[in-house]
Amino acid sequence: CLACHPRGARLALARTDGAVEVYNFAANYFQEKVIPGHEARSVESLCWAAGDRLFGAGLGGDITEFDLSGLSAARGADGGGGPIWSMVANGTGSQLAIGCEDGSVKIFQVVPGGIQFERNLDRRKGRVLCLSWHPSDTHIAAGSIDFFRVIDVTSGQTVQRIMLNHHVEKAKRECVVWAIALLSGGTVVSADSFGRVQFWDWERATLAESHTVSTSAVLSLAVSEKEDSIVVGTSTGATYQLQLLPVRLGGQEKRWVRTKPFQFHSHDVRAVAHSPTALISGGLDAQLVIRPLMEKMQKKGYEAALRKFTFPHRRLVSCARKARLLLFQFSQYLELWRLGSTEETGKDGEVLPLCRMPEHLVQLKSKGPEHIYCSCVSPCGTWLGYSTASRFQLYRVRCDGDGVSLSKVPKVPKLLPPAYQLQFSADSDRLFVASARGSVHIFQLLEPGGCKHLHTLRPPSGCSEAVYLLAPSTDGHWLAAVSGDWAIHIYNLKCFKHHCVVPAYDCAVSALAIHPSTNNLVIAYSDQQLFEFSIPEKQYTSWSRALQSRGLPDDSTLLMNQSTLKQLPETARKRQLHAFKICKKFQPLLFMDLLDKNCLVVVERPIMDFKTQLPLPVQQKKFGT
Amino acid sequence: ISDQKPLGCWSVKHGQILTCPVVCNFETHEYIAVHDNKVLRIWKNEDLNLDKAFKATLSADVYRIHSLPHGGPVVLFKGGAVRTLDVLLEAPQQEIENVISAEVIRWSGAFMEGQEPVLIFTTKKGGDFFVYVQKPKLSSLHKYKLEQQESAKPLCFTAHITNQTVTLLCLYSNSSVYQVLIPLQQDTEEEEEVLSKSLLLNLSVSGDVLKGTSLVVLDKDHIAVLGSLPAPGKQPRECLTIWNTKFQTLQTSKELPLGTSGQLWCYEEKFFLIHGKVLTVIMYKCETSSLAAAVGKLKDSQTPDVSSFVNWNTLEDEELMVSFQSQESVALKVQSRMNLRSSRSTGAEETLPVGQLLLKLKDAPTYVLETELRKLMAKAPTPDLQATIGCVVTALIDRCKRSPKYYPQNFLQEIVETRDLSYSLCPDLMAIALEKKDMHLLQICLERFPDIPEEITYACLKAFLSMSEDHLQTIDINLDSAICYVDVEFNDKEVKTEILENGFGAEMDQDMCDTKIPKASQIDESCPVGLQKAALLNAVLHSAYTETFLLPHLKNLPAGQAILFLRYLYYLYVKCSEKVNTTLPGIRSPTINQIMDWMCLLLDAQFTVMVMLPEAKELLSNLHKFVRAQVRFYSELNKIEGSLRELQRLNHLRESQTYSIEVLEII
Repeated sequence: CLACHPRGARLALARTDGAVEVYNFAANYFQEKVIPGHEARSVESLCWAAGDRLFGAGLGGDITEFDLSGLSAARGADGGGGPIWSMVANGTGSQLAIGCEDGSVKIFQVVPGGIQFERNLDRRKGRVLCLSWHPSDTHIAAGSIDFFRVIDVTSGQTVQRIMLNHHVEKAKRECVVWAIALLSGGTVVSADSFGRVQFWDWERATLAESHTVSTSAVLSLAVSEKEDSIVVGTSTGATYQLQLLPVRLGGQEKRWVRTKPFQFHSHDVRAVAHSPTALISGGLDAQLVIRPLMEKMQKKGYEAALRKFTFPHRRLVSCARKARLLLFQFSQYLELWRLGSTEETGKDGEVLPLCRMPEHLVQLKSKGPEHIYCSCVSPCGTWLGYSTASRFQLYRVRCDGDGVSLSKVPKVPKLLPPAYQLQFSADSDRLFVASARGSVHIFQLLEPGGCKHLHTLRPPSGCSEAVYLLAPSTDGHWLAAVSGDWAIHIYNLKCFKHHCVVPAYDCAVSALAIHPSTNNLVIAYSDQQLFEFSIPEKQYTSWSRALQSRGLPDDSTLLMNQSTLKQLPETARKRQLHAFKICKKFQPLLFMDLLDKNCLVVVERPIMDFKTQLPLPVQQKKFGT
Repeated sequence: ISDQKPLGCWSVKHGQILTCPVVCNFETHEYIAVHDNKVLRIWKNEDLNLDKAFKATLSADVYRIHSLPHGGPVVLFKGGAVRTLDVLLEAPQQEIENVISAEVIRWSGAFMEGQEPVLIFTTKKGGDFFVYVQKPKLSSLHKYKLEQQESAKPLCFTAHITNQTVTLLCLYSNSSVYQVLIPLQQDTEEEEEVLSKSLLLNLSVSGDVLKGTSLVVLDKDHIAVLGSLPAPGKQPRECLTIWNTKFQTLQTSKELPLGTSGQLWCYEEKFFLIHGKVLTVIMYKCETSSLAAAVGKLKDSQTPDVSSFVNWNTLEDEELMVSFQSQESVALKVQSRMNLRSSRSTGAEETLPVGQLLLKLKDAPTYVLETELRKLMAKAPTPDLQATIGCVVTALIDRCKRSPKYYPQNFLQEIVETRDLSYSLCPDLMAIALEKKDMHLLQICLERFPDIPEEITYACLKAFLSMSEDHLQTIDINLDSAICYVDVEFNDKEVKTEILENGFGAEMDQDMCDTKIPKASQIDESCPVGLQKAALLNAVLHSAYTETFLLPHLKNLPAGQAILFLRYLYYLYVKCSEKVNTTLPGIRSPTINQIMDWMCLLLDAQFTVMVMLPEAKELLSNLHKFVRAQVRFYSELNKIEGSLRELQRLNHLRESQTYSIEVLEII
């Protein structure tokens, strides 16, 4: 499910495996926070309340508050009505209403440090699948199977009950109200499994308008803040926008008109959200799609481009450069592979014959219901670590001939988990563990298989957010750490002291690395800016300043990619050469790293590969099939 | 008709009779039927019941309704009056006059002449036959009497209109088909003009006479006749036959053992006939009438070999007919009787060895020589036929050398065109042709001989280039290779259409006199040489050569001619580049590679001349510009091609491998 922050700054998203992600609109829709899933947790509904607090409720029957700085599920409270199908916060964010399996609607008060049950509203038979507060908090609309009702919040009584399956030929089938919205004017918008979006005057119990947008179910619905636009998602993967438009140009009378159909998904569109400037949809095909509304855009450009988020914005693969191993992180297990090798050389574009095939060395299953937060393999390939919400594990990998043995390192120092990022030093001597409150723990790795806590680095001014990116320098002298507040702290590892802070830049850091020879820190921000910071001089390099004054090349610059350049005759090629080596031959890339000076490893993740693993979408008649 | 299911079926009430064939009005897609002579029914496909369909009762008996593709239905009454359906439906009970008196209509047909429907019908009264031509829209009526024929009477009629003339074909009871021409534009009001008829065809098959029952016209040279052949001691065999009227031959026949109704219809290259109890549909295709087809010698059209073309204009020659007749072969499956005007017996008894024969003929008179040589060549193919023909040609050329006035141009052309000769078989032929300035023969030789020495090729080129345009216009040359792209303004449109129809250069020299030759200086785009010269030069471009041997000769080409040739090559090059596939239209037109090779060769050979000559300057600069533009264009194409190939390569790679080590060069 999706939940837009009321002020439109952030988007919360929950996946079926219980993972919760937060996207920051201002930082170019950067996936800012990820709370990995949990086997026992399902999140059916997410909502922001009391400012920036995020609550989730699911079929487990609990309401969970998520700790966004510690990136964990913090507190839970039992809903007391069986599986919770929906949860919405009122306009002020002070109350949460939940719709339960037993047909009850319960109100919870959001209090500092948690939530408090307030009262039950009128209970009727039939699970409450969707809820919507009236903007003035006086009424709640609750959708069930075959009907929806409107409840007066003050009295707790049902004031109207409207059947949806009347006068429908399909009445023998049940009509599931999958989504509902109560507008300020007293109109109830319902979306049902018959593919209809209907507008009701609930006080008179009359149907004002009915739009059959799809032959299959309409699963989700979201209304813009101004209540002039609605987005609905259907089980065929199509989303539609409905807009409130004057019947005649300049006239007073307005009607809802279905304006734009979009087909971005291949499967059920389970959740939609309506930000002031974009339609957001997420579906069973695991994609988040953000479709900016052109009429709300000032100019054409990157802002107005359609975005599809398929991959997480964090590292799921780590590479042992020297040992030539790749560690793949899955939600509940890790896989270690040895790369294949070749003895041949060849010309550009040639595929070399392999003298050794890639080898799946080991699969390491994480125990318990928790999903893995992060993992890492050391450059020498002998150490391997991962962390879940409550445990941190370090293993010693021994390759003897064909066999591979893993032994757990005993007596790993007890620290407050989880670790958000693990990073080994270049000489595989030390392990850096990114932790909560801006701290980084340093472990000394000991032969033949032990480790001890060396030091904990903390920003001098303190920090509430967790560290999510680490970059040690190759010479082992420096460590850069980025925490959730986007501050980049640089520590001196020789004396374990805080060295300096990179000047604040108001955007999320998406990647950073320290140059092996110059020890300059290169930082990539999610707004597509690149900075180079000289660590010894504690200031941006002159190159970085020059770059900032000139700017990176924009869309109008013609940058030829490598394959085009290679087609050109020698003289023309020399003229067209540029600093950006663009190579478009790959499918979507999950990971890329340099093994050595001449060796690059890339991990492709073709979209088709995981599409084929998804269940079949609702059968659609396609021409020619 | 693969499954014979009715698509629609309508019936009249019991007791009513449909009295004439039902027709379809092509404009309204309605069917029109007449029952009980007077009652008109009009209905559409979706109407199920004929009884409820539109009904109109007329005041006179209907003979037939004819439906014309663009003219609407026309109704012919038994009294000979004609009305269009529109007029009739306005007042169904209108009075219908009687045109014929005591005559019975035997056949009728309708045609469109321009925008007007024309109706023709024949009537019989006693032993006399009459032909009526009516134009219902103009209310014009002409009556003709058919020329009497002793002891035979017409059985069946068919007609077609060409050029304002109705050609009426009549099948007579004496198994002959007669042709009657009736001019449409005739205003004479003479009473009962007698039409004379001419014999078109005798329906006799190897002595037996086909008793025809119906005939249809297939095209201008072919007719189909349904009839029966008498078989000794047996029932006559019914068969469908197709005849070539031009060559008086039976083209093909098909036996119909189950018997027919004697009727034959033909629509859109399909015959419809009732064979036994079923309606049979037979597809047919009429090849363009040619003698080769008529005698069953047509080669497989898959390999269009020029040698299979026969120049029809020489057919007047008796001798050629003889040679054909002597070839008349066992391969002729359908025994046909050719009405050849000459029936000279074949000289098959000649068995003398070739050398001796030639020696014997050395001093024989010209016509004897030619006749004997023809006989020699007409023999069935033997292993040494090529050598024999070589000897024949040599003999002819020897005689040419001895008597300067003798030059059997047509005979030589015929030999070169129809036989697979080569230069080495008759080394002096081209030299003598050059000497006699026989451009056409040289053209044919260049196109056909695979082994012309470069010296001769060069001599031909030089001769062609130096020949004046005016003179060339008077010579018969095959223009096929140039006619399709050289822009020539024709003063006479008629000429042009005729050329296209013939398809090959048949004595067009007279017609071409009107051709305006654009001067080279006029416009850049226009062809720098005339059509005839272009065709000759194309023959040179087509000939085989070796660069090293040709180059020394090309150096001797006079500067003016070199520039003219280069200009023509440049023109060809530009013409080629206009098309995406860089080919020129037409038969034997030069290919882009030939043009390029010759261009390089010429520039190589004449390099110093080109540099020095002021008039070459502009041409060379234009050529350079054009080539540069082309190079640029193709380098762009290269890029696209490279990208596409890359894509293909990638696709190919993706299919199999999940892990690969690839070389990636970063530039």
